[in-house]
Amino acid sequence: MSTQVAVPLRRRVPSIAGKAVTRARLTVVPRRRTQAARVPFVTLVTLVLVAGVVGLLLFNTSMQQASFAASSLEEQARTLTAREQTLRMELDDLRDPQRVAEDAQELGMVPAMSPAFLNLADGTVVGQPTPATLADGVRLQPRPPRKPAVLSPAPIVREEVLDTSAGRRGAGRSGGDDGRQNRNRNRR
Amino acid sequence: MIRLRIGFVVIAMVLSFFGARLIQLQAVDPKAYAARAAAEGSVEIVLPAERGQILDRNGVPLAGSIDGVMVVADPDWTSPDAHALAKFLSTRLSVDYFSTLQALRAEDSRFEYVARRVPSTLAGDVLAEAEALGYEGLSTRRDPARDYPAGDVAANLIGFLGTPDPEKGARPLAGFELTFDSLLSGRDGSAHYQVSGGNRIPLGVNTIVEAVDGRDLQTTIDLDLQWYTQRVVRQAVEDSRGDSGIAVVMDSRTGELLAVADHPTYDATRPLEASKDDLGSRAMSDVYEPGSVEKVLTMASLLDKGLVTPRTRIRVPPSLERQDRSIGDWFPHGTINLTLAGVLAKSSNIGTVLATDKITPQALGRYLSAFGLGQRTDIGVRGETPGIVPSGLAMTPQTKDRIAFGQSLSVNAVQMAAAVNSIANGGLRIDPSVITGSALTDDGRTVGTDTAGTRQVISETAAQQTMKMMEKVIDPEDGVAPGAAVPGYRVAGKTGTAQRVGAECGCYDGTFTVSFAGFAPADDPRFTVYVVVQNPRNGGGGGSVGGPAFAKIMSYALRRYAVPPTDTLPSDLPVEWGTGTAATGR
Repeated sequence: MSTQVAVPLRRRVPSIAGKAVTRARLTVVPRRRTQAARVPFVTLVTLVLVAGVVGLLLFNTSMQQASFAASSLEEQARTLTAREQTLRMELDDLRDPQRVAEDAQELGMVPAMSPAFLNLADGTVVGQPTPATLADGVRLQPRPPRKPAVLSPAPIVREEVLDTSAGRRGAGRSGGDDGRQNRNRNRR
Repeated sequence: MIRLRIGFVVIAMVLSFFGARLIQLQAVDPKAYAARAAAEGSVEIVLPAERGQILDRNGVPLAGSIDGVMVVADPDWTSPDAHALAKFLSTRLSVDYFSTLQALRAEDSRFEYVARRVPSTLAGDVLAEAEALGYEGLSTRRDPARDYPAGDVAANLIGFLGTPDPEKGARPLAGFELTFDSLLSGRDGSAHYQVSGGNRIPLGVNTIVEAVDGRDLQTTIDLDLQWYTQRVVRQAVEDSRGDSGIAVVMDSRTGELLAVADHPTYDATRPLEASKDDLGSRAMSDVYEPGSVEKVLTMASLLDKGLVTPRTRIRVPPSLERQDRSIGDWFPHGTINLTLAGVLAKSSNIGTVLATDKITPQALGRYLSAFGLGQRTDIGVRGETPGIVPSGLAMTPQTKDRIAFGQSLSVNAVQMAAAVNSIANGGLRIDPSVITGSALTDDGRTVGTDTAGTRQVISETAAQQTMKMMEKVIDPEDGVAPGAAVPGYRVAGKTGTAQRVGAECGCYDGTFTVSFAGFAPADDPRFTVYVVVQNPRNGGGGGSVGGPAFAKIMSYALRRYAVPPTDTLPSDLPVEWGTGTAATGR
């Protein structure tokens, strides 16, 4: 039944659309081969990669270089700081009033006791200019500590009855004996 | 088939070992391993904060820090060459040969000190030299050191540091170093970074906490003047064979202490060699009876009250019977007629007591307190003893008589200098200060020139009159201390020879405290100088021991600060009246 229906339809249709159908028949579009150049792209990528790697390497190297430089400069700064400190200490030692005074004293200088002022404008002298004397000096070193009595014992004097014939010679000898005895005692 | 199975079993066993290790690493104690991994190649260093300097008024350091190092040895390496190395180190680092040898040869040790607090340049040079000579096993570590360039100058005020603590660093033990430690010591910083082959890894972990350096402490001390004052005091004490001595130099207008000298003192670079008693400041801690110097304050009080004038006539008997005992003068005399100026110039106890009868004990007590006696000066020096002034109510007539000429009350030297300075400064007392600006002490007080207050103790007229009377003390004819004169200048001053309380018996033991206080130029004072010598054994008094020392210090100060003479005539107050039997004893 269905074919019966179909046949008359076909028969009707070709007459109208025969040409159109023929015209509308789909055909496969041929694949177009686009020949984009592969070499430049690969080269570009490779270049980017290589540049990246080399750049990173250079960057790292320069960072490392900078780090070396920083370390060595820090070391140098430390050394220089220490040097500056040493020099400053030296300067402080040199301006130590005690040292200056000792040097001045060695040159025979004494501090002036009575200050006087010379007025440069009119040449007048204010105050009593008095030449300094040795008495104006100040003792720069402490007195040495006193020796304990134990270390400097009083000389032991032994009275000896001398016969008159021995005279002065005997007196001299007795003193010498005392000295020797004293020394012996010390040694003991 | 069987081979495949064995293979699987072996693989399973190996994998289970890996699994077990994984659990051990990740589950049991992952943090310790992580820390160990982090520590590999990472460095943590302390960035040392520099301790502040202590400066004099001109910015010259009295105490400074140096970046010292300690030289340490590893005896495992050093013992083979110990002899040669010890010889080398002892000459280069000035250390003891034998103790160095012992350290270099120590057994069962890998760390021995060779030298401490060596300047780092020296240590660096020595180590480089040692390495060049082929010695191994030496290294350095940080060991900050404190330098006191002027040795004993102002050591009693500045104090010193002990051997530094390896962890906490500086250890202040005395003086300003201890009092102002929180100001001087900074806060150490730290740096944490990763290293490889001795260099920082650029993109590794890197954290830095900057160190905060300590701040400088500026004092009002003048280094050179302080040095000179110390030498003069030492000479005065040695020549008079005294126990100890103090000198205070004060700027009359500002109350700043230019010098506070103590003898015996110590070398701040070698504090251990000194006696423990000498480490503090006697000018603050020693209290004593001021003796006749105090008469100046008594007279000033009387003049301010308007009870007397410098010309008030006083008939001074040979001795004065009071309540329970008789008061005598230091020089024998009959009945003499002295003016008030003469009483002061000749330092007559009897005359002073008679004049003081006009004032009530309460009023006298109030004046003495107003002059600052019996109260702490709180200038920031440790160990201050305020001294004792009996209050007006507690003052019996006997006590009052003795206080009038400076016994039965005790003071410290800075207090007394400030009191005398109030007369120099026109009756206006200025709190003494030794710190420029202001600083916080360890017990929470703010001290310094910024906090120094003033108060008018006596009127300007009374101060002027007292000054004129004090000038007569230096007078070669009328006074007792011509040795205190500074040629060309008007000098006002007063001697003191006080009976001294001995340490053993707690009573007057026949020893004396001699002193001299004064200021110059008298009519426009710039400096107040106070010299005290305890227990001189050469029979000297305030005039002969203190006077010349005063003159030396004063003339040095006047010259150093270029103070010209005032070119005015000295006071011409009469010291005697009538035509009676005037004694000219001295």
